[in-house]
This record gives sequence, C-alpha cells and structure tokens, in this order.
Amino acid sequence: MRKVWIGLLVAILFAGNVSLARAVTLTAPQYVFNKATVREGTLLFMDHCSACHSIHSLRYERLETDLGMPKAQIIKSIMLSSNANFLEGMRPTMTQADAKAWFGIAAPDLSHIVRAEGQRWVYTYLTSFYWDPKRPSGWNNRVVPAVAMPDVLAPWEGIYSKNGQVLHRGRLTPAAYHRKVADIVAFLRYTSDPSYFKRHNLGPYVLGSLIILSLLAYLLKRNYWRDVHK
Amino acid sequence: MAKTVGDMTNKPDLGRRRFLTAATSVVGVAIIGAAVVPMVESLEPTAAETASASTTVNLVPIEPGMQLTVPWQKKPLIIVNRTPEMLATLVEVARQGRLKDPDSDVPQQPPYCKNIYRSRKPQWLVMVRICTHLCCIPHYRPEKASVTPWWLGGFHCPCHGSMYDVSGRVIKGSPAPHNMAIPEYSFEKDDTSITITDMYPKAHVC
Amino acid sequence: MSKFSDWFNKRFPAREFIRASMTQYYAPKNFNILYYAGSLLLLMIVLQLLSGFLLMAHYVATSQDAFNSVQGIMYDTKWGWLIRYMHVDGVSLIFILLYAHMLRGILYGSFREPRELLWIIGYLIYIMMMGEAFLGYVLPFGNLSYWAGQVITSILHAIPFIGPQLTMLARGGPGIGTATLQRFLALHVVLWFLIIAALIVMHLVALHQVGSNNPDGIEIKEHKRPDGIPLDGIPFHPYYTVKDFFGVGVWLTIFAAIILYAPTMHGIFLEKNTFFRANPMVSLPDVTPPWYLAPYYAMLRAIPNKYWGIGLMGLAIVLPFSLPWLDRNPVRSSRYRPWYRTMIIIMGITFLVLVWVGEQPPLPKYFLIERLGAAIYIGFYVLLPIVSSIEPTRAVPERVTR
Repeated sequence: MRKVWIGLLVAILFAGNVSLARAVTLTAPQYVFNKATVREGTLLFMDHCSACHSIHSLRYERLETDLGMPKAQIIKSIMLSSNANFLEGMRPTMTQADAKAWFGIAAPDLSHIVRAEGQRWVYTYLTSFYWDPKRPSGWNNRVVPAVAMPDVLAPWEGIYSKNGQVLHRGRLTPAAYHRKVADIVAFLRYTSDPSYFKRHNLGPYVLGSLIILSLLAYLLKRNYWRDVHK
Repeated sequence: MAKTVGDMTNKPDLGRRRFLTAATSVVGVAIIGAAVVPMVESLEPTAAETASASTTVNLVPIEPGMQLTVPWQKKPLIIVNRTPEMLATLVEVARQGRLKDPDSDVPQQPPYCKNIYRSRKPQWLVMVRICTHLCCIPHYRPEKASVTPWWLGGFHCPCHGSMYDVSGRVIKGSPAPHNMAIPEYSFEKDDTSITITDMYPKAHVC
Repeated sequence: MSKFSDWFNKRFPAREFIRASMTQYYAPKNFNILYYAGSLLLLMIVLQLLSGFLLMAHYVATSQDAFNSVQGIMYDTKWGWLIRYMHVDGVSLIFILLYAHMLRGILYGSFREPRELLWIIGYLIYIMMMGEAFLGYVLPFGNLSYWAGQVITSILHAIPFIGPQLTMLARGGPGIGTATLQRFLALHVVLWFLIIAALIVMHLVALHQVGSNNPDGIEIKEHKRPDGIPLDGIPFHPYYTVKDFFGVGVWLTIFAAIILYAPTMHGIFLEKNTFFRANPMVSLPDVTPPWYLAPYYAMLRAIPNKYWGIGLMGLAIVLPFSLPWLDRNPVRSSRYRPWYRTMIIIMGITFLVLVWVGEQPPLPKYFLIERLGAAIYIGFYVLLPIVSSIEPTRAVPERVTR
C-alpha cells in the first residue's frame, strides 16, 4: 500500500508538467549557469539590448552584490543611460517616445521574461530571425510572426532567408554566435530569478542542518519507541 | 507485543535518551534561531527605501535670506540662504553668551560642519527642522526683535518656546537640550544643488 | 519552579490540558506514514501565517501597485524571495498533505461512525482551504491572477436568482480591480483565515472526543487494561510527539529543498503566467487553475453547458460529505475489503488523471478523458452503497496488527 500512495504523490507532482505543443520546437541554450557566464551576458546585453530594453526590477547595485562586478565597472560600462542611478533599476538608453516612433511600440521590460516565457523560448526567439522584405523593418521571426524588433544581432549572426539560406555571412561562426546568445539568455535568467545564486549557496548548509536534525529526531524516536515494540 | 505501555519492564537506556533529547533540542533551537534572522531582516528597509533615502535639492530658486523646507526621509529639512548680516549675528549671539553649546561640541552635526556656521559653506544652512525637545517644527524668525527684544534672528519653536540662532544652536533657557541636527550632505560639482544622503548617525533628532 | 507551576495551574489548567490531550491521551500504536500528514498540516498552516504576515508587511492591494509590490518583495526586500516562496510553495505542500490526509481517512474508514462529524469538519476545512488559496492567488495580480479572479467570480454568476448580485459583491465593481484586491486581502488574512482556524480547533476537539482511528479500522477502546487504558493505545506524548517531530524534520528538509532548488517546481507551484502583469485586454493562451483545483476544473469543462458544468463541479465538491452514510459495510478499513480497496485505487488514479487533464488546454480532444473521469468520480459515490453492502470481507483481527 505504501508504494501505491508514494506513487500517487509523485504523480501529482509531475502531472502538471506538460507544456503546450508549439508551432516551433524550442531549443535549450547551452551554457554553464554561473556568475561568470551571467557577467559575460550582462556586458553583451548592455552592448546589444539595453538601448531599448529596461530591466526595471533589477537595481544596478545587485550586479555588485550578486555577481561581484566592481562598482567602477558598473558605473563605466553598465550605467549607460543618462539618468541611471546605481541604487535604481536598469534603464534603457533610449526614451520610450523614441522607441514608439522608430518601432511602433515601446520595447518591453525584460525583468521577468525568462520566468514568464521560459529560457528555451527566449533563446529560440533570438536565433529565429529571418530576412523578410515584406516587413517594414525587413525582419521577421519564426517564434513571433510579424515581430516588431529588428535582428540587432545580425552583424554577428549573419542574415538568413526564411528557408535558412545564408544571404549574408556574419562576423561570428554559428557556434560562437549561439554561445553569445546563450550568455544573454543566462543574464536574463538571472534577472528573472536574482535569488538563484544566494539560494544555491545557502542550500547545502540549510539542508545539512535539517538532515542532522532529522537524524537526531529519528534516533530519539527509535529510542522512545523501544518501549512500544517489545 | 507490549501488554503495558509506559512501564519500563525492559529498562530503556535513559542516559542515551536524555542525551538525544538534549541534542535534538539544541539543534532544533539553533535552526529556529537561524530561521528567525531572515524573517526579522525582511522587515528592514527595502532596497527601494534605501534608494529613495537621498534627496537632491536645487539651490538656485532660494534667494538670500529665504528658506526652503523639503521632505527628506519623511522629515522636514530646511535649507537657508544666509546673508552676511545673518552670519554676523552668529558671532554676536555667542559673544552675548546666550548659547548652550556655542562650539557645537555635542555631535549633532558631521565633523565637517563643526563650526559656528554649522555648515559646509557659511552661506548655506542645511538642517533637520525638528526641535530637539519634543519633535515640533520650529518657526523660522529671521527678523531682529521678533521673538524677544534681544532677538537676533533664528528659530522659535511654537510648542514649548525653544529658541535657536540661525545656525540652529539652542539658546539658554530653552527646554530643548541640543542644537538641531545637521544631516550628511554634499554640494554637486557646480554648487547649484546639494544632495542630502544620510542622517549623521550620532545626531539626536529629538 | 514547582511553586510557580502550582500557582499558575491553580489559575490556568495547563497541566490538566497537557494530561488530557497529550500524556494521558491514548492513540493506537499502529499509525503508519500517512498519519504524519495531520501534524504536518498544522505546522504548515502556522508557517503560512508567519510568511503571510511578513508578505503583508510589504504588499500593496491596489490594481496599480499590487504586481510591483510583489516583484518588490522578490527583488528589493531582504529575504523577500524566501518569504514569498515559503508562502507559494507552502500552498502546494498543504494540498499534498490534505490529499494524503483525506486518502488516509478513506482508506481506513476514518469517516465512519462515530467519526462522521470529524470527517465533515475536516472536509469543510479542505473546501475553505480551496477558497483561501484562490483568494491568495488573485492578490499578486499577475495576468493569471486576474483571469483566475475573473473566471471564478463569474462562476458565482451562475447561482440562480442572486448570482449577478453575488458576483458584483465579490468583485466590488464591474471587473477585477483595486476594490476586488482589497476585499480579497481582507478575506484572505482575516475572516476566511479565522474561520479555517476555528474549524481546525473544532476538528481537534472532535478528534479528542472520539479518538483516532487506525489502519486496521478497529476500536482500541474495546480492549482495555483494568485501569481503563486501551491495551493497544500509547500516550500521545512522548511517543507520537517524538515521532511527529521526526516527521517535521524530514518534511522541513523537503520544503527547504523545494524553496532553495525548485521554487516554482517547473511552473507547477508558481505558474509562468503569474510573471506577466494583469491585463484585462489580453486573455491568457489557456486559463488553467493550480494543480490542486484542476480536477474540479476538468469536470467543469466536461459538460459543454455553463449551468450543468458548474452543477457537476459543485456536486463533485460536496459529494464527499455523504461518505459516512454511503459506506454500509460493517468493516471500516480497506485492508480487509478488497473490492473497496480496488475502488479507492481506481478513484485515486482517476483523480490524478483529472489533475492532469484539468491542466491541459481546453480542446475537444480532452473531452472524452474529462467525461470518463467525471463519470468514474461520480460513479464511486453511486456504487459505494451497493458495493459496500454486498462485498466479501476478510477476517478482521481483534487487536491492531503491526
């Protein structure tokens, strides 16, 4: 009987873990999720994405406290927006009004994008741009059809047609390019879940002490229950 | 099967039992103690609160002799643009021996403001506008003889009559114990604005 | 010390209380692992109260700021992630325990005479918990919260005669907004919670009146020592307190591991749509409830008619109240009733399938599963009186087995 109900509980836990079938198969980015990767991703994000996208929820100071970036580096190469404040959230360098004028819509805030859409979605989206002369920007995307965002990474990625033909070779090899995008996804994963490193650092200590408590409690229980099982 | 539970027919090892009870309790209490720390710390000021703790004030609109009171860390903060005549009263009031703490020996201000002006630049007074007696907001009374016949200008508290000079130094005979508190602040590069960052930790507001 | 204790006990019956409910309260000695669920539920509810209090110290119940204030807890409050994950994951763990606790009751016939009222109060707590979870679910005001609030309050709309007024009363306006958040918060932390707390007290009082059942489903009070102590009973303290304490240690280890390593449990404990701000203009790709409510939602969708669907869901929720009177077999525990045990296993699997299908997008291809699931669920209650009166039983032991 024991086995039956343990099986039931395990099944409850995993029953809901089913995702919707999508038109595009989403692929997982390949990276090692550690502080170094995220720091790398932060710099890439600042170079390519931060002109339009804010990360409103994450304060610049967190890059120092969570990732160990030197404050001087943050001020010099991360706080690019004219009204950036070290203690406030990450701002885009471009104003919302400009964004609306150029792309039709203001670029969304990316604080929670990986939690909301999943990192596979973000990664596949960033690697699914293709050249489409029918679009005003010239860009289209397999994950988000009629996308408003242009492929800002095209100089590195190269330009592809819808059926995957290389129209223009990029500065990076496909493998190097995918690593670069993966690092950006790693950064966005961190911004969605900034407690990650703290949680994982605490983990062994918390679980260790609770396991010690459980072991002691088990010995105590067994000692008392000798009275019962005789 | 135990016919009678609770009676110790088989004599359990009571020493071991006592040891295990103590060990489990110690570990349990230690874990509860460790868990209470983050719970309490979650009630400390948030990053948003810390970020909004400093305020920058533009000095340009404040004309000579005028004051501006702005909210800062949920307290009134007064900035006075003092004229040379007002600064002269600071020497005079000390010479007449009317002050409790003329040299600002009580650390009611950061060290860089321990002077008769109680400021970084003599012209600008930046001060928490709270009477050190019982937390009222003193009136700004710069006109001579406006409070008493010998009044040289300063602050007068409406609640219990505490008097201060235009540096916020308390005048003898007032119920207030200390000079009014000066926060930590700095001038921006071009001197047209100041940023008030923190309360001076040793200062006693009221 | 003892002088003070005498002084104190003369004025407050602490000693008597401990004696009556702990040291001289005799529980069957053959409790198995399922019997940990009760004490763990009590622990989890206390932890919810604690984490909820700390969350409320930062939460802003307005449609404008609710989402931001919750994200502020996650990003700006010291250890804010810990208290929010405790509260969010705590809900799923409470429901796992509730289902284990109820399964135990069904398996061993703990709802049978004289424990009918104990079962009814307990089941009321479960229904109230579903409401409490829903109210809390709306508060962070992500897009899932918004649409969950919209869907559930519109279920009230289907109640005959007073439906529209009731919906308006629940929402406090034409839609889900600040007024809704504020009344939901007030309900969640004050009234609803106090009712649950009161029901828990009643549940414990009722338990101590009738005593615990056990996996064999027999009364330990029928075999007593000359001094009136049941032969198969052991004092709750120290034997079950040390045992439950061990359970607490293991359970907290699991809880901490979830919070630290899988706080969203891959979107099951904290769904990804909660990370989008509430938007009345954008419906979700598919609105599915949290896993613990999914079976009822699946049954709601099984009938393509608003009133009949809601009716079926309502029936599914209230049917367990009737269990004490539907089961007619003289034997309580499924250990000695193979047919009853088979029915429970089929019912358990059906319930899990309904959990799964309730999380699927509302597509016609799931209709068959939803209807089959609903039919088996209702069928359990229809067949129980018949099966229980004719089923063969195995020999029931006189004394509890080990």
